[in-house]
This record gives sequence, structure tokens and C-alpha cells, in this order.
Amino acid sequence: MSVPPVTPVPSMSPAEMQILVSRAGLVLNPGQVADLVLAWRQLAGLISRVPHDRKLVDDMAITFRLAPPANAGSDPRSVPAIPAKAPGKAPRTARAKTRAVTGPAKRVAGRTLVKTKSAKRAKPTR
Amino acid sequence: MTPGHPGFLTIAEAGRLIAAKKLSPVELTRATLQRIQAVDPKLNSYLLVTEKQALSAARAAERAILSGRKGPLLGIPVAYKDIYETAGVRTTAHSRLLIDNVPKQDAEVVRRLHEAGTVMLGKLATHEFAIGGPAFDLPWPPARNPWDTRCFTGGSSSGSGAAVAAGLALGATGSDTGGSIRLPAAYCGIAGLKPTPGLVSRRGVIPLAPSLDTAGPMAWTAQDCAILLDAMAGHDGADPASVAAPKPTYARFLDAPLKGLRVGVLRRFYEHDVAASPEVLQMMTRATETLKQLGCRVDEASLPSVDDYNAVGRIIISAEAYAMHEAMLKARLSEYSRVFRVRVLAGALIRAADYIAAQRQRTDLIIATEAAFKKFDVLISSPTASPAPLLSEQRPDDGFARPFLTTVANVAAVPSLVVCGGFTTTGMPLGLEIIGPAWSEATILRVGHQFEQATGTRARRPEL
Repeated sequence: MSVPPVTPVPSMSPAEMQILVSRAGLVLNPGQVADLVLAWRQLAGLISRVPHDRKLVDDMAITFRLAPPANAGSDPRSVPAIPAKAPGKAPRTARAKTRAVTGPAKRVAGRTLVKTKSAKRAKPTR
Repeated sequence: MTPGHPGFLTIAEAGRLIAAKKLSPVELTRATLQRIQAVDPKLNSYLLVTEKQALSAARAAERAILSGRKGPLLGIPVAYKDIYETAGVRTTAHSRLLIDNVPKQDAEVVRRLHEAGTVMLGKLATHEFAIGGPAFDLPWPPARNPWDTRCFTGGSSSGSGAAVAAGLALGATGSDTGGSIRLPAAYCGIAGLKPTPGLVSRRGVIPLAPSLDTAGPMAWTAQDCAILLDAMAGHDGADPASVAAPKPTYARFLDAPLKGLRVGVLRRFYEHDVAASPEVLQMMTRATETLKQLGCRVDEASLPSVDDYNAVGRIIISAEAYAMHEAMLKARLSEYSRVFRVRVLAGALIRAADYIAAQRQRTDLIIATEAAFKKFDVLISSPTASPAPLLSEQRPDDGFARPFLTTVANVAAVPSLVVCGGFTTTGMPLGLEIIGPAWSEATILRVGHQFEQATGTRARRPEL
């Protein structure tokens, strides 16, 4: 996946952390601030892994929606069970027969997601 | 049938015996309660045992059977992770903050399982609010692993994993936001299912991060998870994420042949992204061979790295968990455990732009994961890098510093089942994770069930 290289997490002085804590409306003792510094450094590293440079029209909803299940699980014919690959190209009639047994070739779990340019970035690279 | 104590019966076995009137729900409940009393002081899996209610429910189940009622869960003793609200029964989320919380209504899942005739034994340990644990600065100690009580159960459905493995409940509920059903299932050697979002209602389940939270079953076998899921799943208009769909039957087709099923092995996950121990690698090799023997077509699969899924998952969990708890954190900060504070307080510092970037990246990861299911019907991986570590080795910043293999399925919004994949030379269980496309619970349960049958791992129980 083409994720930008992890950028080093900038160190944060106690004074800078105190400003953030105050802005968040938290009142922490020194031990709790030390714990927060530890956790924030880790979390900031994770944030740096996530791309922020997207096209404006990349995403219309900032959410996803799954396609509804089509009787998944109610019948073994809806469960994918494709016969083991036979040597050579199967004749057209045999493939048609297979579809009749295993149900429609279209997957039941398709999502109503719109592929965007950024989605291409998420393809596995390995 | 599993030999030994009645608490070691599977739900399927006990259900058959009860239906044949060879086992009384009252006897089964009483025996399980006695086992809890004898064994649980070593495990701390229960926060509350509801003995009187359990015996009363068992008597009601017995009367129902005698009057001709049937059902696979009738008279089956189960227990609830203590984030599931139970009417009239204390629900604490393993937190000092809710120590006196007695809900007026059952969670929808509790209602459904009650309607199916189950017997509630009590409320189970968790990490504080399903994230802050294991912690030793709470009113109750953390649960311990029944295979070795020095070891971690995994979390956050820690009590559920320990209780089911130790025969202290035949089934339990869990919740899974980043791996909280599947990690205890792996470390405790049981089965646990994280369903597709929207399949099981979350109404009345105390939330952690609503855009990732799911509720699901935990039991000794995949078959038992299927039986529980049959009762738990279904549309609930009061949960906005619940999906209206025909009610499936998961337990019915578990034995349908696997011949030709396309299985993708996510080898890079456990060999490269999270370097697994040699025993995990050996287990995965054996699991792959077993699936081939069952007729599956096995090949290597590839997804974005575990770190990418984990980064998105942790940002969302931290931001949403902080938002859920902000008011209480400001008013009663010192009453939370230190582990909770370390894992959640940092969410206060996440910018809205970072949270939205994580949500947008999640959509990309969902699409990338879905693409893998064009080539494969299911994907397999190890849910953990090792067998259960020592409880004392757990760090407050786990999840930030060490990515969870299980978070992949949460971020990708797909169902995932963990079953026992085998044991280490020292007798500790190892999990196998089976991931399917959305709504493929029937398929992954079928794979898990037949894998368990082929490997025979279900004959072994922890000695306590």
C-alpha cells in the first residue's frame, strides 16, 4: 500500500503539552501528564501514517455503507464453494452448470462504495 | 461428547441432551454454579454471579421443556461481558464509575438470548470500559488465563474467554472494537466471532468507539458460536447501524463440504508485519495443510500492511473513546484506571482533521480488503504473534506500540472468526483467524467448524 513514509514524531516540551492539555480542558497531575506524553508520542506516530493530502472530491460522505446481505447464510448454495480447478479450460456448459449449483457468480457481499482516486492508493503493493 | 464436568459440554451437546430429557437444565446450571464457586477464585472471570436468578431461569426452562417447547439454547447457561446491560442486575463495565449502575432494561442481545431460553449465570470481567486493562487499580482484579493462571487472557472480553475455556459458562457474549472477542478467544483456546457491523444489535452494550464496535458470541466451538449467533443476530430498529435483512440460519449448514473453497493466506501479516513466534508459524503451516486436506484451494493473499489498518483503528478508537468519556474524565479522572487514562486521554489531543483523515483512509482500506475477496472466499491469518504472554508483561500503551493483527477486520468492516488452531509444546492454545467478506458469517463458521473437527483441538481442556 502506498502510504507516505512515516515522518518522525516531533518531540514536545512539557510546556507545549501543558498548552494542549489546558486547551482540552483537562486538569492533570505531573504523573498523568507523563503518561499522556508517552501515549501521545505513540499516537502521533500513527497519525503520521495516515494520508492527509486528498483531493477535495475524494470522499462525499466520510463513511462507508455495506450492501445489504442477500440471504447470506440461509442456504448452502449462497456459500461460496467453487469446485476445485479442473486441468485445462472447462467447457462453457460445465461453467454454466457450476453457477447453477453454487448460486449467482456475483458476490453477496459487494459494497456500495464508490471507488475514488485515493482508493487506488490503497491497493496492496506487495 | 466432551468427557468430564457438565460445564465442559458444548452448547450443541447440552442442547441435545436437554431436548432428549437426559439432562436437566437445573442440574446443568447447579453444576456450573458449583464449578464457578470452586474454580473462579483462581481466574476472576466473574464480577457477579446471579445464582438465584440462574436457578429460577433454569427451573423455568425445565418447565418449558416438559410442556413441549424446543430450542437449541433452552436451558443453556451463559454469561455476559459486563458491558451488556441487564435489567435489575448491576452492570459496571469493570469500572469504579459504574459500581452502582443497575440498568432498567436488557441489552437487545440479552433480551434475545433470554427469549431463546438461556440461563444467565452472571456478569463477566472485562477491561475497564472495554479498553482499560488488564488493570490492578480497579475494584476487581483482571481475569486470568485458565491454561496458565500467570498468563493474560487477552482482552477486552477477558472474563468471557476465561469462563468459557474453564467450563464456567457454556457460552458468553463479547464485544470487539479492535480484537476484543478474538484476542481472548485465541489466548484462551476457544471460538469467538466478530460479526459484520449491523448484524448484531449493540443497543444496551456500553460503547467504546461506535464506528468500530461490534457485539458477538464466544463459545468452546465454532458450532456453538453459530447457535448463539442464530439467536443474537437480527434487525433492531433502535440501533441505527442495524441492518434489516432476512434472518439467516448459521448453525444449519456447518457440514456443507469445503471442497473448492478459495482460501488466501495472509502470510506477510504474521511473518513480516508482526513477526510471530516460531510456534505460531508452525501452527499456521499445519492449519494451511489441514485446509488443503479439507479440499480448499489455498494460495497466498496480500492486503495493505497491518500497521496501516492499526493506525486507522487506533486513531478512531482513541478519538471516539475520549469523546464518549470526556465529561466523566473531566469530573472523575482519578476514578479511572491508569491503563484507561493512558489509552484514552491522548484522544483529547487528536485534531478533527486527523480523525477525518483516518475515517477516509478507512474507506480506502475497506475497498482494498474487498478487492482481495474477488480472488478468495476467506482469508486466514494468526490473530496473535504468540501464545498468551504473562499478565505482568502487559503495557498500558499496548495497541499504540504493538499493532494488533485483529484490528484489520474491524477497520475493514468484515466478519472474522477465531478458533483454536493448536497448542504450543507447553500446552498453551494458539488461535487461527478466518476472515470473510461482509455477511459471510455462515462461510467462516463452516470453515472454523470443519477445521476444529479435523484437528481435534476441542478434546482438550485446561486443568485447574
